[in-house]
This record gives sequence, structure tokens and C-alpha cells, in this order.
Amino acid sequence: MLIAIARRLNLLIITLFILCLASYVLAFLFPGDALTNLSGIPALSADQSHQLQLMYALNEGWFSGFWTYLKLTLNGDWGVSLNSQTPIFEDILKLLPASLELSLYAMVISLVVGLPLGVLAGLKHRSYTDMSILSVSLTGFSFPVFWLSLLLILIFSLQLGYLPMSGRISLLFDIPHSTGFILVDILRSEMPVKDAALFDALRHLVLPTLSLSIVTTALVIRLIRRSVVTVYASDFIKAAYTKGLSHSQVFWRHGMKNALLPIMPQLAMQFTVLLTNAMIVEVIFSWPGIGEWLIQAIYQRDFPAIRGGMLAVSAVVVTFTISVELLVRILYPLNKRQFYAQT
Amino acid sequence: MPMLDIKNLTLEIDTPMGWVSALDKVSLSIDTSEIRALVGESGSGKSLIVKSIVGAIPERWRVTADRMNWKGNDLLGMSGNQRRAITRNEISVILQNASAALDPSATLREQIEESIPSYRLTKGWFWQRRQQRLDIAIQELHRVGIRDHNLCLSSYAHQLPEDICQKFSIAMALVSKPKLLIADNPTVGMETTTKVQILKLLTKLNKTQGLSVLFVSHDLLAIAAMANTMTVLYCGQTVESGSIEQVKRRPLHPYTKALLDSAPSFRRDLPPKSPLSCLDGTIPTLQHLPIGCRLGPRCPRAQRECVKMPATRHIHGHSYACHFPLHRDKP
Repeated sequence: MLIAIARRLNLLIITLFILCLASYVLAFLFPGDALTNLSGIPALSADQSHQLQLMYALNEGWFSGFWTYLKLTLNGDWGVSLNSQTPIFEDILKLLPASLELSLYAMVISLVVGLPLGVLAGLKHRSYTDMSILSVSLTGFSFPVFWLSLLLILIFSLQLGYLPMSGRISLLFDIPHSTGFILVDILRSEMPVKDAALFDALRHLVLPTLSLSIVTTALVIRLIRRSVVTVYASDFIKAAYTKGLSHSQVFWRHGMKNALLPIMPQLAMQFTVLLTNAMIVEVIFSWPGIGEWLIQAIYQRDFPAIRGGMLAVSAVVVTFTISVELLVRILYPLNKRQFYAQT
Repeated sequence: MPMLDIKNLTLEIDTPMGWVSALDKVSLSIDTSEIRALVGESGSGKSLIVKSIVGAIPERWRVTADRMNWKGNDLLGMSGNQRRAITRNEISVILQNASAALDPSATLREQIEESIPSYRLTKGWFWQRRQQRLDIAIQELHRVGIRDHNLCLSSYAHQLPEDICQKFSIAMALVSKPKLLIADNPTVGMETTTKVQILKLLTKLNKTQGLSVLFVSHDLLAIAAMANTMTVLYCGQTVESGSIEQVKRRPLHPYTKALLDSAPSFRRDLPPKSPLSCLDGTIPTLQHLPIGCRLGPRCPRAQRECVKMPATRHIHGHSYACHFPLHRDKP
């Protein structure tokens, strides 16, 4: 077990290291001055330029340059944005929770809806129930996210006027920023109109979460259905029936555990799909998250911000994936055999 | 009255080519404290019979039978709950591929304790019951010859070798004290000494506790050593059945003869270095089943009549299904 954990940690560290390396190299591949791309400060005078060069150790060869960059990155000094001249790291810290919040709620909804439907479809394999769930999921899977969100805005905000079309919360409410998760922030704040603010924030959340979760729900349904079908065709389920266990006993004791654990990493992968889709959705709904910020940075060729955003998003994705994998390894014994077979 | 009485069991499987009957009018009966052997090549549908008896087949396959009675009660007609009660308390099954038949994500202790019926627990409080469950499990494991019970109970199925898994499945099948044990190839791949021990255990249970056994195997020697009666299956059809002595001494169906001849240790008259006999060809696949008697294309005695399924004939408890049986011309 310890070896398995060590391996994963090793993988995590090396991947993050390579990400840092890539982001460092990017600064030299982007058009323009490498020093400006690293620091975000357009060099004005020769003196200032010299000072930056010393700070990034660029004249001491690429190795110590990278080493200095690594130290600066770990210290949270990611340079400043070319456009706004604000520190990138603080920007990311402020914006990333908004994106994570959106993706997290979408993930929860996908699981809550997709899990029972997928299991139902898997148990009723090749029946009309299965076919209809599968076709609904195929339809959901085929919607492009940007089109779906525009359509939702068109119907629910513009035509019917039920829900707000952009932003996280109405401008009337002034929420102090503490965790970055808006619902948590509202609950922790000392405002007099907490309930109204909470309700408003929830109303703002509905459309982005819905448009994000539809695609993921479809994916989750298909994943779970396939896994349930495979498990129910296997010998040990038949053996459990021959022991005389009832359907529900077989389902809860043997079926679910074996169907869900192997696909946990794949389910967790959906989170990364969500994060990608969240970027598109954030732009459409003007959601102040990292995706919108990153896409703005790309539009404005704000290279330090692009570099920082890429590093932050990929670090989150990598860390998340590896921790889920580790968790599954701890919970699911069969994976150990695969582990031993590899070594 | 036989304990398990199956007459004309037909199992149809939905394939892209339409419905194919994987089992075609199989008849089988097991009396109280009888060991019946079910013999046949791989692919002859032995395991399918086992699975249809306990109802562990996909719901979309069609099972029909003229009669499928357990102690006089129709298994196919009864409700799911009644049938489960019977499979839980009176019938136990050892499936082929023991390690695949064990849940990969649960320890063996959880699995064997799950099989212990509640009537074997006499103590009242749950912690006493817990201890008693463990005691019963350990006792059963010792009975099938697993000495290191702690290691076995705390392991997962993939951590143990295949023959331990097999022994464990046998222990798990015996823990509910069944009336009938259906053993699908329980000793396959075991070393000879262990195999003999298992066979001895089954025979002992048969003699002392009146356990009936349906012993599904290829192993003709093991069958000859322990079984009372035997049923020969070819490609989903019952070919011949009768007591071991009858069938061995005087096989009436050409397939039975070929099967017996293919086991050299059965033939005392075989001179050294003589060619071994076997039927040409292989068992047909489900997609290419011949009509009538399915042995037809491989049968040395086949004639035109064989495209019709022969009726089963009975002589002194020995039944066979063949138009041109062996020894028929002799008195």
C-alpha cells in the first residue's frame, strides 16, 4: 500500500514539475520579450530590465534560470498581468474557487441524476427502459455546451424571465470575499439580508450549472450503465444468486460495489471535462471564474496570465485525478493485483 | 420419488441468427442420497443445466420444461422467493472457475459468512452470533482441507491460488448443509492427492448425511470411483443415462462408447502403444447445430433416419436416445 501511495505521489510531483517546466519554456516561445512574458512588466528602462534579469537569473544559464523560476512559482510570485498589472497568483486564488464551485455543483448534480439512471439502465439491460434512458443520454451528450447555454438563456431568461442571465449574484448584494465559494461566503457573512442573498445566488447558479451538468450527466449514465451490465454478466453475481440471495441483497452487497469502484477514476475524469466546459459556460454567463479570465487573457495576448492560468488549471486537474486514483486504490482491492502484475 | 426431476428441459438463447436451443429436451433425475454424474465434452451444455436448475441465467433466455420438480414442487412455476428459499436452504452450487465466482471486492470471510443459514446460529446476541459465524466458517474450511484458515478468511479471491479458491467454494457450498450439492467441475486442475481428498469428503457426506450430489465433470475415473449413476450429454441433448455399471459394461449409444473408449485407463484390453480412439471432428457450435440427433455428422453409425431426433427408450432403468444403438442385435 505504501509503495502505491509513494508511486502516486511521485507521479504527482513529476507531473507538476513538468508542468512548471512547460510553463517556463512557454515564456520563451511566446512572441515578445521573454522577460516581459515571465514578469508581466513591460521593460521600460535598461536599469529596470537589468533588475528583472537578475531576479529571474536569466544570464546564469537556463538551468539556474529555471531553478529561480521554480522557487518564485512555489513562493506564489507568478508575475503580474500585462493588462491590469495585478499579481496573477492573487487573481487566480480569487477566481479559481468560483470555477471550482460551478464545476463541483455540476458534478454533484450529474452524479445525483446520472447514478440512479445509469444503474437502472444497466439492470434493465436491453429493455425499453434501458433504450429510452440511453437515447435521452445520447441526446444530452450531443448538445454543444455553448449552444445549449445560449438556448437556456433565450428560453428562461429572455422569453420567460424566470432566471437571471449573467453573473454570480445581483449587484445589490455586497458579499465579503473569504473562501471564494459564494454560497459559503454568504452563509459566513454577517449580512442582514442573508436569505435574500442566498436565494439570489442560487437563482444565478441554476442556468450555468444546468448547462454544464447535462453533458456530464449523459456521460455518467453511459459509464455506469456499461459497468453495471459487465458486472451483472460476471460469474460472481450468478454465484451470489445461487447462494439464494435476493435481488436487493445481491445488488447492495455485490453488485454496486463492484460496478462503481472500477469506474471511480473515470467518473473523476469527468470533473476535468467539466472544468473545460466551465470555461465556455463562464464566458457565456459572465461568471467571474478562471475560465472567463483565461479566455480574456488569451484575447488580449496577456502572456503571463495565460501561463499562470494554464499552470493553475492543469495543477488542479492533475492533483484531483491522482488523489481520486489513490482513494480508489485504497478502497478497491482488485487493483492491487494489477499493481503487482506490473512490477 | 426422485428429489430433483427434470424432464425435457429446453433452454433457448437469443443469438443474431434467431433463437437457438442450447439445451434440447434434457432429462435428468436425482434420487435422495444418490451421486449422479453428468458427463460430456466442453460445450455440451453441462454448466447451462446447472445454471438453469438454480435459475442463474439471464432473464431474456427462455427456459421451458415438461417437468422441473424439487421434491414434487414445480421450480419453474413457483415464485422467486420460494425458489430462493429452496436454493438457499436445500441446494448448493459450486460453479466452474471458482475464483471468478467469488466477489473480487469482498474478503472471503464476508462471503462465507453470508452463506451461513440463520438456523445454524443458536446463540442470541449479535456478538455471540458473530463469533459463532466465524467458528462455523473455520470448521467448514478445515473440513475441505484448508489448514491456514486465518490467511484464507482475510484474503481476497485474487490473492489465493486457484485450488484454494476451489476448496473454499466447496466449503461455502457445504456450509448451508444442503440436501443436494451441484458440483460443476469441482476438482478441475487440482493435484491428484487433493482431488482424492475432496472426492472422499463428498462420498463420506453422501454416505453419512445422505447428501445427493450432481457431479459435473470430464473426469471419468473420478466418476467411476464415486458416482452411482451417470448421464451422458452431447451438445445439449441427453444421450444416455443409467447406472455406472450398466453404462460402463454395455454402452448403448455410439457417443457413450466413444467417450468411454477415449479414456484409456478404462480399457483393460488395450495393448501398449496402440492408437487411442476418439471421434473425428469437434462438437458443433451453437451457430451450426445439426438437426435431429446432434451427433449425426460425427457418428460412425449414422443413417438417414438420424435427421429425426430419436425417441428415448428405457431398458431396466437404462435409457438411451439412438436409432441404431450398439448391441441391439445381440440378445
